[in-house]
Amino acid sequence: MDDLIHVAWLLAGILVAFTVVMTMVAYTVLAERRVLGFIQGRLGPNRVGPGGFLQPLADLLKFIFKEDIVPDKSTRFVYFLAPVIATTAALMTIVVYPFGPEIHLPIINKTIPLVVTRFDVALLYVLGVTSVGVYGIALAGWSSNNKYSLMGGLRSSAQMISYELALGLGLIGVILQSGTLDLYSIVEQQSGHLGVTGWNLIWAQPLGFLIYLIAAIAETNRVPFDLPEAETELVAGFHTEYSAMKFALFFLAEYVNMFTVSMLATTLFLGGWNGPFVHQLPWLGVFYFFGKVILFLFLYIWLRGTLPRFRFDQLMNFGWKFLVPLAIINIFLTATLQWSGALDYVNKFLKTSVGWGG
Amino acid sequence: MVALLFILFAGMAIGCAISMVAQRNPLYGAISLIGVFISLACLYVTLAAPFIAAVQVIVYAGAIMVLVVFVIMLLNVEEEEWPTRMRSLVPIAVVLAAVLFAEAAFIIYFVQASPSTPTRNISDVGLTSSIGAGLFTTYLLPFEITSILLLMAVVGAMTLARTGGLLPPRAVVVPGHQVLARDVLDPRAVNDPEPIHARTTAEVEKILGIEGVPHVSDEDLSERSVRIL
Repeated sequence: MDDLIHVAWLLAGILVAFTVVMTMVAYTVLAERRVLGFIQGRLGPNRVGPGGFLQPLADLLKFIFKEDIVPDKSTRFVYFLAPVIATTAALMTIVVYPFGPEIHLPIINKTIPLVVTRFDVALLYVLGVTSVGVYGIALAGWSSNNKYSLMGGLRSSAQMISYELALGLGLIGVILQSGTLDLYSIVEQQSGHLGVTGWNLIWAQPLGFLIYLIAAIAETNRVPFDLPEAETELVAGFHTEYSAMKFALFFLAEYVNMFTVSMLATTLFLGGWNGPFVHQLPWLGVFYFFGKVILFLFLYIWLRGTLPRFRFDQLMNFGWKFLVPLAIINIFLTATLQWSGALDYVNKFLKTSVGWGG
Repeated sequence: MVALLFILFAGMAIGCAISMVAQRNPLYGAISLIGVFISLACLYVTLAAPFIAAVQVIVYAGAIMVLVVFVIMLLNVEEEEWPTRMRSLVPIAVVLAAVLFAEAAFIIYFVQASPSTPTRNISDVGLTSSIGAGLFTTYLLPFEITSILLLMAVVGAMTLARTGGLLPPRAVVVPGHQVLARDVLDPRAVNDPEPIHARTTAEVEKILGIEGVPHVSDEDLSERSVRIL
């Protein structure tokens, strides 16, 4: 019986997290089109509903009712499997992110932390599931039986493997610092004065944050690292041969990935739900969390509006010869600081002299 | 609950394993193998070993198999033919399979027959911190030896991949007409970007009066950067 109640709670949590994330992802797409429109001196979609507010719904309907074309010479099974893998892998990670602190639910009188599940290796789980997501793109490229798709798939596999390394190494600094892989604990450790001074970004991991940010953009195949779908060279890259809902799944996977990557950045570097007055009003934490995530999403869109694309050799050189060594330097620095106790000293100094308490 | 999950994931693992052996298409085999790894990871989770599960997915499913899939995609391997000359090996395979099953049956029998001894009740086995502590204290030497082994493998792979030996990576001549800067090809001409028109390596050597301008075939093209003025 207890088991069943536990499972029911989990399912309810997953449902809530899924709904929230999907809604926000849908509006990220709209926001991207409007912001890009603003950057490029045009309006963007503003016809469907007030200010284009119902545009995501219209897009969804259009994707559902479009004709679904499957290339004759494609490898059927893999061709159908690829978008499923991409979307599943993208969505699977949302269960570990803490959306807010412990919150008291008034009607059923229960205090729960706003995270679907907490477990010992949450961060590794995120990295593992993300690494499986590569298959979606690689297999899509291979099974379409199209040279542009294949090139896009190969490029993206190479790119994602390369930058996964820098991404993982960039995160090790945070792990060294917090001594845990549980995201909820990592957020709790970043409370600091007014919920701001404890952020990993500020004192502990500015370099790690930079590495993570760049590698994450490459991992999600976004501008300026969007070589897998470079329109000018590859038509549309790995999803050239996909249409209707199958294309929509890839589209969805890309934006969900963007969203989860932003959530991870918020959780690890920007203090998650920490912010002023969260202890008094726990619900504020949810707004802080999504506010920070939205900042990241805006950064993504901003970059897309302003930066040109890398060349492939530049991309590889940058990843292997700059980011990876930089990440190793960051690990070395963090370990040294941690071992010598310098950061503890800074914290103590801040606490006693400036009055910033943890 | 746990038994149900075990049956689910064990069934998935066995099904994927059979499919991996039975598939004629190498890519389907690779996908099945990924399925095996992921089901195994799920089994590890039900056995209260989340760290091993995560590492299983990251290392095997996320890194090694990506490389395998990558290679299959690059080589565009055709469906495997049924090797007729291997027919003679079938009896041996049957015998070996029988031995394997006997071993498995023996282990199951042994486990069930032996009196159940209470294991030490440690709750943090399988957690990241306990594994880390174990790796860096009790098992430090094996851990370091394994690390050095991996490092040697990396260095070995790099040595094998550098077929060009001592070629300067910048100076390459590709078949076909091209204009190259003199200082790129000739080690003596420092900062002399005077253009050279050439079609082949031999032509470059004749123009510059030097020997040993590295040449790149069409196949290697994607591997190397070509500096064209």
